[in-house]
Amino acid sequence: MPDSHEPIIRFDRASFGFPGVTALKDISLSIHAGEFVGVIGPNGSGKTTLCRAVLGLMAPVEGHLHIFDCACEELRCHHRAMIGYLPQKGVVDRNFPVTVLETVMMGRYGALGLFKRPGRRDHEIAMEALAHVAMDGHRDTALGHLSGGQQQRVFIARALAQQPRVLLLDEPTTGLDITTQHNVIELIQHLHQELQLTVLLITHDINMIRSRVDRLVLLKTRLFAAGSPAEVLKPDILSQVYGKDLVITEKDLLIVEDYHHHH
Amino acid sequence: MLELFTYDFMQRSLLSAAMVGGLCSIIGVFVVLRGLSFVGAGTSHAAFAGVALAYLMGWPPLLLAILFGLATVWITGWVEEKGRMKLDVSIGILYTTTMALAILFIGLMKTYNAEVYGYLFGSVLSVTSEELRIIGGLSILVLGLLLVFSKELYFIAFDQEMAEASGIPARRIFFLLLTLVALTVVVSLKTVGAILVFAMILIPASTAYQLTHSLITLTLYSAIIGVTTAVGGVLISAVWDVPSGPAIVLLATALFFCSMLLSPKGMRSPSPAHSH
Repeated sequence: MPDSHEPIIRFDRASFGFPGVTALKDISLSIHAGEFVGVIGPNGSGKTTLCRAVLGLMAPVEGHLHIFDCACEELRCHHRAMIGYLPQKGVVDRNFPVTVLETVMMGRYGALGLFKRPGRRDHEIAMEALAHVAMDGHRDTALGHLSGGQQQRVFIARALAQQPRVLLLDEPTTGLDITTQHNVIELIQHLHQELQLTVLLITHDINMIRSRVDRLVLLKTRLFAAGSPAEVLKPDILSQVYGKDLVITEKDLLIVEDYHHHH
Repeated sequence: MLELFTYDFMQRSLLSAAMVGGLCSIIGVFVVLRGLSFVGAGTSHAAFAGVALAYLMGWPPLLLAILFGLATVWITGWVEEKGRMKLDVSIGILYTTTMALAILFIGLMKTYNAEVYGYLFGSVLSVTSEELRIIGGLSILVLGLLLVFSKELYFIAFDQEMAEASGIPARRIFFLLLTLVALTVVVSLKTVGAILVFAMILIPASTAYQLTHSLITLTLYSAIIGVTTAVGGVLISAVWDVPSGPAIVLLATALFFCSMLLSPKGMRSPSPAHSH
C-alpha cells in the first residue's frame, strides 16, 4: 500500500527544455493528495512547461519527475487518465461539430482504453460530471453555441469524466469577464472540496486565487518560492520576479505591467 | 434507363462507386476535422506516381500506389511531429515532387499508355471484377479500422494534445489515420482518379459539416452524401454520356453549395462565445 503521506507528484531537481533552451531548471517540489496549489509566474517563466511535464508530455532532461510513484517516462495511459486537464482557452474551433455530451464523453475514452466502447456506465459518469458543473441541461447543445464561461464548465466536466485524482487547470479564467472568472474559480474550489481532488491551477491572476489556495508556487525558470500565500506574496520576492511594475495595497496586490507608462 | 442496370459493367460501376463514395466520405470526416485536407491531394498524386512507375517497370500498379501513398503520408506525419515545418509546406513539397516523378516516369515510357491516364482521371465504367474485389476488400479493412478506433480518431481530430494528455496513444492514432487516408486514396484511384479523389474525401464531409453540430450525425450525413453523389454521378455519366469523375464531383459540389444556403450555422446569430 502506498503511504498516503507520499506525494502524488514529486519533482526532484528536475530540469526541462529543448536543446539549447532551458524552460525550467532544478525544480524540487512535492504535491500531496488533496492539496490546492496555485502556480504563478510572469510570461515565459515555465508555467506551461510545468503543466506539460505533469501531463507526462515532457520528460526531464536532468533530475527526476515522479507522478503516482511512476517515473514520468514510464507513465502509462491509465496513469494519464488520472490527471484531468483543462487546456488554455482558445484552442477549440467554434464551429467544431460536437455536442456538450459528446465533448464530455471524450473524458471517458482515455480511461476506457483501446478497443472498448463507452457503455451506459460511462454515459452516467459523463452526465454526473455535467451535473457537477451545472451544465446537465445543455447535453445536446452544440459546444460552439455556448458562452466562454459555459465552455470552460463543459471542459471541466470533460476532465471530471476521467474520474481523475488530480485536476490540472492551465489559466482557466483567461479571456472571461470578471463575473465569469469568479464563477469558474468558485466552481474549481467547490470541486476541490466536494470531490477531494488535488488541484494544480496555473494562472496569471494572483488576486483571484490568493485567498483560495493552500500553497502557491512562484516560478521564474527556477522555483523562486513555494509556500502559503502569505509566505510567497511578499513585496521583496514579488519585485524580484515581476520587476518594479507591481503595486501593493493593503487589501490587494496588483500587478500592473504598464504602471510606469501611466505615472 | 432501367435496362442500364442489367449490364454487368454498370452493376460493377455502381457498386464500386458506392463503396468508394462511402469510404472517402467517412474518412473525409476525420480529414476535414483534423485539418488534413491537403494531405488527401498530396497522397493521390504520390499514388499516381507509383502507378506510373509500375507501368514503366511492368510491376503491379496498386502495390506501388500503396507504397508511394504510405511513404508520402508517413513522411508528412513525421515532419509535422518533429515540428520542423508546417504540414501544408511539407505536403506541398512532396505533392509536387511526386507529380514530377509521375511526369518523369510517363516521359520515360516508350509508348503512349492510356491505362495510366485512367488512374489520373478515373474510369469507373471500366472497373473489372478483380478490381472490384480489391476495392471491396480494402474498403472493409479501412472501414473496420475506422470503426474500431473511432473514439480515438474523433478525439485526436478534436484536440490531439488533450487526447494524448488524457491517455490516448494520440501519435500512433494520428499515423493510423494517415495510413487509412493513403489506403482510401489508392482504393479510389481507378474509380475517380488521382485528381478528383481529393474532392470525394473533402466535399461530402464539408457538406455534412454545414448541417449538424454532432460528430455522430456528421459522419452519418457525410456517408449518405458520399454514396448518393457517387452513385448519382455514375448514373448521370451513363445516361448523358459524360465522364464519370467530373459528374460525381460536380454533383457533390452542387450539393455543397445548397448545404451552405441551408446551413443552420450560417444563419446563427452570434453567441456570447463569439466575442472571445
